[in-house]
Amino acid sequence: MAEMWINMGPQHPMTHGLWNLRIKVDGETIVDAEPEVGYLHRGIEKLAEGKTYPEVIPLADRLCYGSSMTWSHLYCLTVENLMGIEVPPRAEYLRVMAIEMQRIASHLMWLAAYAVDLGLMTGFLYAMRDREVFIDLLQALTGSRLTYNYPRIGGVAHDMPPNFDRDALRACSYMEKRLKEYEDLYDGSKVFMLRNEGIGLLKKEDAMNLGVTGPPLRGSGVRYDLRKDMPYSIYPELDFEPKWHTDCDCYARYRVRMEEMYESCKIIRQTIEKMPAGKWRVVPPRNAPEGTGIGRVEDPRGEGMMYVVGDGTDRPYRLKIRSPIFVTVSAAPKMLIGYKVADVVAIMGSLDMCIGETDR
Amino acid sequence: MDERGKGEREQGLEQPPSVVGGDPEERVVRAMLDAFPSTVSEFNKLGKGVVRFRIDRRDLLRACRFLRDSLGFEHLSMISAVEYENRFELVYHIASWQHRLLLEVITTTPKDDPSVDSVSSVWGGANWQERESYDLMGIRFNNHPRLERILLPKDFLYHPLRKDFRG
Repeated sequence: MAEMWINMGPQHPMTHGLWNLRIKVDGETIVDAEPEVGYLHRGIEKLAEGKTYPEVIPLADRLCYGSSMTWSHLYCLTVENLMGIEVPPRAEYLRVMAIEMQRIASHLMWLAAYAVDLGLMTGFLYAMRDREVFIDLLQALTGSRLTYNYPRIGGVAHDMPPNFDRDALRACSYMEKRLKEYEDLYDGSKVFMLRNEGIGLLKKEDAMNLGVTGPPLRGSGVRYDLRKDMPYSIYPELDFEPKWHTDCDCYARYRVRMEEMYESCKIIRQTIEKMPAGKWRVVPPRNAPEGTGIGRVEDPRGEGMMYVVGDGTDRPYRLKIRSPIFVTVSAAPKMLIGYKVADVVAIMGSLDMCIGETDR
Repeated sequence: MDERGKGEREQGLEQPPSVVGGDPEERVVRAMLDAFPSTVSEFNKLGKGVVRFRIDRRDLLRACRFLRDSLGFEHLSMISAVEYENRFELVYHIASWQHRLLLEVITTTPKDDPSVDSVSSVWGGANWQERESYDLMGIRFNNHPRLERILLPKDFLYHPLRKDFRG
């Protein structure tokens, strides 16, 4: 049969954002694939060069609408590394608590979108409803629902509101019960399992070579989680397990994310129990010294990294952002080739695309 | 490395570490100095598990292959291009999962010939990152499989992250 190229996107229900997937098909079988990104390029790296260091924090929030807390946190880590600032312990605990809530909210948003991709509308409604719980908590903590502008260079913006610890603990135990329900709902759905198991194989060697990080990497049998292996902030003091699977398919990626949510609940509980008293912010200097700073965190989608060059003024000379999905999506052809057109939705959905950070 | 770390490593990565014993940062420095005595310089330990050094751009590809094959650096994290008054700097952040190390490898190219060898044959993940550096900073990567613009439209004329670009 004649081969032909098909454009899936830029406007397609599968894309969850604005990007294009060109696939070459032979009948129903994919023989070549080529993702195209860049529709949402806003030039954040260039914009940051014209702003003072604190002014970039809200801009870093806009990198990813699904998990903005991790990006502003990463930016603050990077600039603190450049300026040599020690963050007070209470601020570190508040930050870790906030980014783990963000991780659950982000994974739930993925779970909702993934369910509706695969014809499980009930899952979408359930997951979106329970995401509200964590969005509400973050709203109580920071004042806004999606782009929080909460971390600061040298700490966080405010302390916890009254009774926040009680609400957070309650949300954790609620979530753990709900997660079991989700597992029954998702794993019990025959359609969901048929479209998941054995689809989108990404071999371990390929995943390592192509720079894939985060849940897709851990779903491919590599136990690598920056929170454990290159720990930052207060993660060494906390007790949790990085989750990984060896099946290498879409179902393994789904399992990794589900189990990570349990671990995040565990982490939130520990941060609240161990939360030290004291200051939550130190005032940073206005100007950064000449030199460079790096920050590396485990984003919900993979390894987020920033590199900042300071030149002695109050503005960054250069800010480079590593987006995990930008690198992961370049491995998409490896997962797609050989499968049917109908599997594209499951395979690309299992990567948890976020175009804001991909295109920057 | 403590006992728990060892157990995790053995479970997660099937291959045993290629070099055993000693301080891991120092071992990398020593191995690089032995292999590339004339082109590697300015070693610096930036923190726990983070090492920075400079390398001549002619040896970059060979050094990267050596890092991956002999020293166990499986993961290329990030390629950053930085423009200075008189030069471009390319900063490669290369991670080793088994040794828990991060390298910051800096190579310099002159302003009138901004080109280095592509490392996408070593790490496939470099492919798109090099295209991004070409797109936004105008660095040419020799022997890249497909050096085209990636974030900006194909008919865009400028490299916007350069300091002389005013949007």
